[in-house]
Amino acid sequence: MKDCLAKIVKNAEIAENVYEIVFDLGETLKIRAGQFGNIAVGGTHLLRRPIAICKAEGNLVTFCYQIKGEGTQKLKTMGTGTKLNVLLPLGNGFYVEENENKVALVGGGVGTFPLISVLREYGEEKEISAFIGYRNKGAVCGVEEFEKANKFVAVTDDGSYGEKMNAVQAFAGALKEGYRPDVVLSCGPLPMLRALKTLVEKENLPCYVSLEERMGCGIGACLVCVCEKTDGARARVCKDGPVFNVKDVVL
Amino acid sequence: MANLSVNICGVEFKNPVIAASGTFGFGREFHELYDIGEIGGVSTKGLTREPRAGNPVPRIAESRGVILNAVGLQNPGVEHFIEYDLEWLKSTGTRVIANVAGKTLDDYFSICERLNGKVDMIELNISCPNVKSGGMAFGIKPQSVEEVTRIAKSALKTTPLIVKLSPNVESIAENARAAERGGADCLSLINTLTGMAIDIERRRPIIANNTGGVSGAGVKPVAVRMTYEASQAVKIPVIGMGGITCAEDAIEFLMAGAVAVQVGTANFTDPFALPKIIKGLDAWCARHGVKDVRELTGVLKLNGKE
Repeated sequence: MKDCLAKIVKNAEIAENVYEIVFDLGETLKIRAGQFGNIAVGGTHLLRRPIAICKAEGNLVTFCYQIKGEGTQKLKTMGTGTKLNVLLPLGNGFYVEENENKVALVGGGVGTFPLISVLREYGEEKEISAFIGYRNKGAVCGVEEFEKANKFVAVTDDGSYGEKMNAVQAFAGALKEGYRPDVVLSCGPLPMLRALKTLVEKENLPCYVSLEERMGCGIGACLVCVCEKTDGARARVCKDGPVFNVKDVVL
Repeated sequence: MANLSVNICGVEFKNPVIAASGTFGFGREFHELYDIGEIGGVSTKGLTREPRAGNPVPRIAESRGVILNAVGLQNPGVEHFIEYDLEWLKSTGTRVIANVAGKTLDDYFSICERLNGKVDMIELNISCPNVKSGGMAFGIKPQSVEEVTRIAKSALKTTPLIVKLSPNVESIAENARAAERGGADCLSLINTLTGMAIDIERRRPIIANNTGGVSGAGVKPVAVRMTYEASQAVKIPVIGMGGITCAEDAIEFLMAGAVAVQVGTANFTDPFALPKIIKGLDAWCARHGVKDVRELTGVLKLNGKE
């Protein structure tokens, strides 16, 4: 974990309301799939923006973000050469065990980006199938990355790109046809994660989900971004997560 | 190098910059970034008798220049703190201020009794706006401020008592005097201002608790004014806080009458805010020929006065 004064080398729209921003950290940090960075946008915005890391290659780190509020509006206007403080890497990240060879990625919306980091970390050694859902054709992005997977199924809510269904339905369809992964990794909107939880419990599949929550410090001190665990305890999404075994959390 | 050390109620702090309760946990996470032994003190996450789960999420929102939070005093309880965090926190070399919260007078008494002699100072949290019972209820009326202070003080044979005042009151001077009458050794202020932020798409408050405590840069002028009024009203020392982001902000509070400051929300914007403020304080003193930071406390002169 380090607070880097990072230089923007690219900041461009890659899909409707979705931007890709690439920072040069000036050094190489050890970053695992599924970890995130906390980006200071400055000015009157006192909270940093926690955003999943999409790619890390040498000194360059890529994040993708959706325009949601004033902070991301401001971020999208920042040109190359601008320097921002980025605290990273944060959180636990995704782990794929030695004996887990077949990995299913199930993602929706901006939740697809941390899954790209899994593909980049484990793509060579594991057999990866990606089931990715988008709102519509305009929202489709990251295709060139997901196409590197052994199998890539893209679907949309309105059928304007791929079949008309959501990512969980696409994944369920593959299971019906006999596909059986050793582990399922997922990130996306809460209704999607809930549907996935029901499915993997029925199918008895190990599954890890990356959660999103409004954060304060981003390092585990302030107890703002908690989630409820099935044993009744509270976990910090930023520090104990963002990736949890789906069995352990109440969605 | 100016002298930055201050003595508050017999407790020596290496500098007057303290981490504010609720933004710093028990210090472990920030210690991964820098040596927290270098900061004056740490006011712990608010401690209750039993563990508390806190409020539902979302617990935080942002508005220009400020944030709102309603964590609801999630904490592992005072016994867990004593067993797992206290010795470690002391071993870093920083001063340990235990922030104490309760639902009843009896809660305040028993937590204070339990912590007496174990920590450097106790900070009585009678001003948390985010819990349904207790908390701020004790901090609003001068009479109850005095009563809860007296009860807590009666449990503290050796450890000095700070009473943290709420800004959501009729007269900060009245409440400051009430705490002093109740036996407080020191005051700290301000806790957060109660506020609301609305998601206009959903037509609902952003925070699950509906209202939250407002803090951050935008509240500083209110906090400076209240620090001035409180320090004018009492003889006991005052610790100022509210929106401090840099050394210059801290100096405003010192000039207004504070002997030390606490820094909270700035830790979120910049996790290195505390060490930077300490360094900046030293540099400011050097540039202005101030040999001892204690010279700054209360030097403010109002306009129109001699």
